Amino acid sequence: MDNDYYVCTGCALLCDDIGVEIEGGKLTKVHTACRKGVAFIKGCRHPLDSTVKGERTDVDLAVKEAASILKNAENPLIFGHANSSSGAQKIAIGIARRTNGYIDDTSSFCHGPTVEAIIESKLKTCTLDDVRHKADVLIFWGSDPANSHPRHMSRYSYFPRGKERQRGWEEDRTAITIDVRKSDTAEICGKNGLYQIPVKGDTEFMEALTSALSGKVPKTSYDFDKKRLLELAGILKKAKFGVIFAGLGMIYSLEDFEPLYRFMDKLNSVSSFHLIPMAGHYNMRGFNENLFKETGYINRVKFNGAEVLHGPEYSVVEALRKKEVDAALVIGADPLSSLPRSIVRYLEEIPLITIDPCQTLTSTKADVTIPCALVGVESGGAAIRMDGVEVELKPMVETDRLSDEDVMKRIMEEL
Amino acid sequence: MGFGQFLSSPEVKLRIVTYRDAFQDAAKVESLFGEEYERLSATILLDAKDITKLSIKENDTLILKNKSGSIVVKAVESGYEQPHPGTAYMVNSPWSNVLVPEEAGGTGVPAFKDFEVVASNSKGAKVTGIKDIV
Repeated sequence: MDNDYYVCTGCALLCDDIGVEIEGGKLTKVHTACRKGVAFIKGCRHPLDSTVKGERTDVDLAVKEAASILKNAENPLIFGHANSSSGAQKIAIGIARRTNGYIDDTSSFCHGPTVEAIIESKLKTCTLDDVRHKADVLIFWGSDPANSHPRHMSRYSYFPRGKERQRGWEEDRTAITIDVRKSDTAEICGKNGLYQIPVKGDTEFMEALTSALSGKVPKTSYDFDKKRLLELAGILKKAKFGVIFAGLGMIYSLEDFEPLYRFMDKLNSVSSFHLIPMAGHYNMRGFNENLFKETGYINRVKFNGAEVLHGPEYSVVEALRKKEVDAALVIGADPLSSLPRSIVRYLEEIPLITIDPCQTLTSTKADVTIPCALVGVESGGAAIRMDGVEVELKPMVETDRLSDEDVMKRIMEEL
Repeated sequence: MGFGQFLSSPEVKLRIVTYRDAFQDAAKVESLFGEEYERLSATILLDAKDITKLSIKENDTLILKNKSGSIVVKAVESGYEQPHPGTAYMVNSPWSNVLVPEEAGGTGVPAFKDFEVVASNSKGAKVTGIKDIV
């Protein structure tokens, strides 16, 4: 076995304890990673070819064609980035600026508002290492790490012993799930660990908990058991280091973040609570931080000369729905898989470029496809974990394919 | 063609909630175009009462439709302890995304995890394939 440890880029946990076995330059075994991680590191069965209009070609020609599409477009969209290295993301921002384009990533319809609130210090947060060493009360709210981040509970949040949590999970940690169904994570949280609420019932539950923390009788229109709500408020008050792992179940249910801010403020007036967004893709947070440094916004940007425009109208969803872009470059994402079919159908009407290690639904409709190395396996770089910690990535095996950063660099040079 | 082809199928309105599944995610990474990914994605988890209302048996296929589109998926009983008639669960996938409404109220965030469909017996139609979706 290779004596080095590597980072898994299968999700935003970026587990850095991965062992691999390599024979004849090929990866044969992966140790320590979860089911998803092993599948990701071993790679897909359908690698992407370099093509222009469906015909195989060399990468140089595909890069030239991609640059030509972007040059000829008035309003190109540069979208994806959540599965891209930070280096590729920074060049993508440069390409969007150079072409007066729209730039957006998957956080636009995912954890964008949560990351934005954290970057702007509106929500108190902590690192996953803090969680491992200190956290005693864990709330999985609308999140199901047993499926979305399979090593979350074993490596960071529930099961490990940490510096201040030496007695093990049975005595040292309390795990709670607030969800609309009994998820696999709720099963792990035990008999009384699930607080099952109706769909879209999150805001009311949050407000009822805020009332309970203030010593008032908690009420919900769906008559949630007041005794259980008061018991939960009691657990939260006694927490020495509490963490809420916010999932999309919670985020999508909130009309706005005011109830969450009120709840966190109240929690932090009686105990100490932090929030970590359960970002899915390995470097979504990296894109948010990189774009924020460049523009002051985390996503949904349109460059217009020196001006930077921002708002929901510049989101990938609204830009495609209103047919306001006239070409698209997709890297590190598969919008034909992840967005409503009725919205992404428009991508088939405009010149489309896909850069990815694997064939995707989007690549099947692309005019230009450019393969790149699988970041963290075939190429290195850097990424930012779901908790904001930067992690260095190094390649496990060699490849002839260009890194995603190099592909973007080549396109930028052609521009 | 059996006599059942001429009988109208009961239609049931369902609220769909989507979720994540580690095994389906792994199957996607291995092969987006593979049978395993289709098997784990094109499935709907139903309450036992809704299975009865729809006059189907477990593992029969259902047509799900709304203004956004229509797909055929396999029906499975959820097995959740808490009854959930009228609410069904689907793993997030290109199949569920066929049914997610386009209108996002100007927010840029479609209702991925909460939308309505009308379900009916597909009378033996095959599950929608990934290539039929695109």
